[in-house]
Amino acid sequence: MDGQGSCIQTPGDPTFSSKGALSEVTKCRSAVRFRRSHGTGLTMRGYTPHHKVASMKISKNAQVLKRDFREKVDPEQISLLMKKEWKLFYVTPLYKFKHTQLKTYSKQLSAFIASEKQKGRAVEVGPETGFKVVFSIIFGLTETEEDTELVFIQIHSKPSFAAEGASDVVIWSGWLACINGNTEYLRAIPADFVCLPLFCASGAGSLTSLVKSWFETTFDCNFGQLRISPSNLHRLATMWTGCHPTVNIRYLKLSWTLPTCPPLDISYTVNPGDVSDLWSRICQGKDQVSSEVAKQFFQCLESHFFRHFRIHLSAGELTKVSTALGSAYRDGKIQFMNSDYMIDVLMLLTESALLMMPV
Amino acid sequence: RRREAEDPLQLALLYFCQVEAGTPWKGNDVLEKHFEAVERVAFSRGLSPEGIEILLDFALGLRMGSKCGIRVLKCLIPASVIPESAVVKGVSWFCVGKMPPNMQIMFIRWFITMFDLIESKERLHSLYGFFFCFLSDENLCPYICHLLYLLTRRESEYSLVKPYRLRKLMNLQSKMGEQPFLMVLLSLYKVFCPEMVSLTIPARIKNGFKNYDSTWKNALSAVQKRNKAEIVMELQAAVSVRPQSASRKRKRNCHLSVPPLGSCAPPPGAREDGVLGSRVFPLEQLRTFPQLLQNIHLLELPAQMGSVLNSPLVLHYINCITDDSVFLRLDYWLGHALHEEFLFCKDTSYENNSEAIEFFSSLITAQQFLQEGFLSTEVFTLKFLRVWDGSLFRSQILSLLSYIPVIPCSDVKQLLFEPLIQLFFSCSLYFKCSVIECLNSMLVKWLTWHAVFASEDQFDMSISGHSPTNMSLSGIMSSVVELVEFVGRISTIALHMEGYNTLLLHFVLNFYETVCDMYVKYDFPLAIMPPAGVFYPALLSKDPVSVNQLCHIMFRYRVNLLSAKDPEKQGKKTFLVNSKTYRKYNQYVVAMVWCLWSSKAFMAGMEIEINPDLLAQAGVAEYRSTFNIVHHPALTGYAIDFFHKCWPESKQLNLSAIKQGRHWDWYLEYLFTQGFDGLREFIESSIRRLSGPAGLNSSRAK
Repeated sequence: MDGQGSCIQTPGDPTFSSKGALSEVTKCRSAVRFRRSHGTGLTMRGYTPHHKVASMKISKNAQVLKRDFREKVDPEQISLLMKKEWKLFYVTPLYKFKHTQLKTYSKQLSAFIASEKQKGRAVEVGPETGFKVVFSIIFGLTETEEDTELVFIQIHSKPSFAAEGASDVVIWSGWLACINGNTEYLRAIPADFVCLPLFCASGAGSLTSLVKSWFETTFDCNFGQLRISPSNLHRLATMWTGCHPTVNIRYLKLSWTLPTCPPLDISYTVNPGDVSDLWSRICQGKDQVSSEVAKQFFQCLESHFFRHFRIHLSAGELTKVSTALGSAYRDGKIQFMNSDYMIDVLMLLTESALLMMPV
Repeated sequence: RRREAEDPLQLALLYFCQVEAGTPWKGNDVLEKHFEAVERVAFSRGLSPEGIEILLDFALGLRMGSKCGIRVLKCLIPASVIPESAVVKGVSWFCVGKMPPNMQIMFIRWFITMFDLIESKERLHSLYGFFFCFLSDENLCPYICHLLYLLTRRESEYSLVKPYRLRKLMNLQSKMGEQPFLMVLLSLYKVFCPEMVSLTIPARIKNGFKNYDSTWKNALSAVQKRNKAEIVMELQAAVSVRPQSASRKRKRNCHLSVPPLGSCAPPPGAREDGVLGSRVFPLEQLRTFPQLLQNIHLLELPAQMGSVLNSPLVLHYINCITDDSVFLRLDYWLGHALHEEFLFCKDTSYENNSEAIEFFSSLITAQQFLQEGFLSTEVFTLKFLRVWDGSLFRSQILSLLSYIPVIPCSDVKQLLFEPLIQLFFSCSLYFKCSVIECLNSMLVKWLTWHAVFASEDQFDMSISGHSPTNMSLSGIMSSVVELVEFVGRISTIALHMEGYNTLLLHFVLNFYETVCDMYVKYDFPLAIMPPAGVFYPALLSKDPVSVNQLCHIMFRYRVNLLSAKDPEKQGKKTFLVNSKTYRKYNQYVVAMVWCLWSSKAFMAGMEIEINPDLLAQAGVAEYRSTFNIVHHPALTGYAIDFFHKCWPESKQLNLSAIKQGRHWDWYLEYLFTQGFDGLREFIESSIRRLSGPAGLNSSRAK
């Protein structure tokens, strides 16, 4: 993470006091004439299958960075993002989204959900009669100047048959984030737009789609499924393994599906000591996890498996990786169990969400 | 009135209304005929309220037995609403107790499904007690529970939730166990009268009421959709706003629905009663062009920019707006829809073919209207080209492709030519023709954009950013050179591959008609000659149209090159033509004159020289004259016709006679009357005739 080191604000920096952060967010970006004038530059970027992929770096003095991140972000708020399994989506930039209007958005979305739930011919039978939506900001989860503060949304329900005095239950949560997004891309977006390309949701699918459709009509944006590509799964696994010397990952569990008939599911669990040993041998001399390193790491794991079982794992598809730090699924689901290396994962996810942008 | 009487549905309803109870139904052809009439209408347009009343009365009264009754119930799809009286009558038949159990269940299910379409429910509420009695029927219980759930309501003075009813429900529950349908009804009672129900109810009851009647629901939604579409279509005749798609149930991963046109929610800052709010003209109400003009200062942009795609009026409006975010918003939506549907989508079966074609056509119409391509379409089309099989949505994709703005010369090869060339050579002749046509229209657009924006720049520098390309002239120039040379290469090979097919040659020559006129027509200082692989096949073609077209093209080249020599006279930009181009042009002109005019084909000095021995071996007597305008394979037919007209009595065909004396001039006149305008232009401009047919000279451009 040496590369980003210089961008991280020190905790004393006024930018990260709550009011300062808002002014930071609503700052004017250099507007670019988009219509008609954007032909060439954007075409190229839009077309190129991969924007310049910044390689994720994991510094040897990760401990320092970890402290930095912990001081920057309220651990209580961070805990909101933990343990849940998040479904991943990408979002095109939000038009006229303002961090200063979160209270209004809360009211609008509550009203929208209530009215949508009443719609339809069949009477929806269920206890959820009252909804309360809360928008909030989790400050500090940014890496560069162009990143936008993370927006966190919770939907509480007031069940009709709850016991007296029972508090509301959180039935859905979700958040929009941009962490270490491609600076060049973010700078080119006019000031009317807020780019929060990564959307994570946890809760009932019906609520997720209601929230999505509210965003789509209110901020003229669009949502799409964000799957985690095999190479990104490789990178996640490699990254998590690289953390072993500082945080015990306890295990590295990998799952493959092989296209046999019927399909063969293979689960491959590796001892953390061994795998960390392998990692340090591959990364010898390098202190970053590039795609090449991840590829090499997996080739080693796969060839080891082949030696024992005579099965080429590379013929199948990696569906899931998990360690004690977290787990990730090919179909676009992720879970954080430990906050320590969360930010690296979020950087990776932001990057792949930005790659999905249509223009 | 007479027409009404003849309507089969009216006759059928009359029959069902008047038929005597106990009429046999087996082998009853009249009944069968009326049944068919009713079913046909029911599943297409739905039945009128009166029809529903008659049929329901017929069915539930069991006038012709339960089988007929069930058949009627199955097709009881209302077009609009169901009169309450019909249902009340139905309920009274239900209470008579003559119906077999399966029919009872069917009636209650129909009742539940159509509940929302019943006009008013006042009298039904007063029948609550009757329905409640049927709870004890084990078969009916789940359905009755559902019905009661729909009917139960809280009234201030008279509540339907009574202690004795609750007791009955609790009894039933102890008898039947914790049935989900009972639990749901109880939970509703608890909501209304929490003091009466002490039961703990689980937070979520799974499958409270099953969703049974999908056949009715599907039929109903189909009928409603069609009726709505008809209404909208009537509107559309007067109004240019297109119908929004009415179906809510769509394929899960379909992204091709254009969002409905709607204004933004009032900005969070503004009060509902605010001054601002009242002065905005809602987009939904925009119907006519005069309306647009009168309210143009009061309009605001739609909440979802994608909605403009289906509304030509709003397209007019956004075309006037200089706000960049408008097009960016549209691009995000459009790009997302195209990518999700055609690139990210894993199932490639494209069941919704017609939907996709409709989407493409509105996209193409919008682009044609705005006379420019969208950025998102460009990105998508270039990506799609790499995975395209060349047949899926062919005309649509090629049309989108032709709208792509100038691609920088450094990328044009990788982005456009490489994917296109693979498809081009592996696909059919017709695909080749359409690709050449598409590239021609692309070139025309590039040149037009350049011409328009280059001239705009001169008097208004402030809008210089508004050009489809912010490229320099030399940048555009090299891209155009790349494109023209690319087409030259592929058409040379394609003509060879396809045996110099006339159709293909026609499209290639069309392309060169654009190329030859770049300087005069578009003020674009560039002249590129067609490659020999295009020129000679056209010159020696067996088809008169191609020869004529080639002559026209060469004439236009001459006009362009001459005006390039004297730019001041035309008030155009200076343009220095490469001497190679002149040389090439002169070579071609010489070849044409020698072939068509002076019968010196294949003489030394022509670009294609053929060994005389080889020509002698071909056994053609006077091979040098075989390509003059008399003997040219494309023109022989005309020569023969002319010969017969001149010498009607001659038995022997002697085409060489045409070359003699005045006949040559008459032959030329004859050809010009046959529509050889290109040939006339070429001969009049490039051939200086001295005295008589033999003395002629080709004038050189340099």
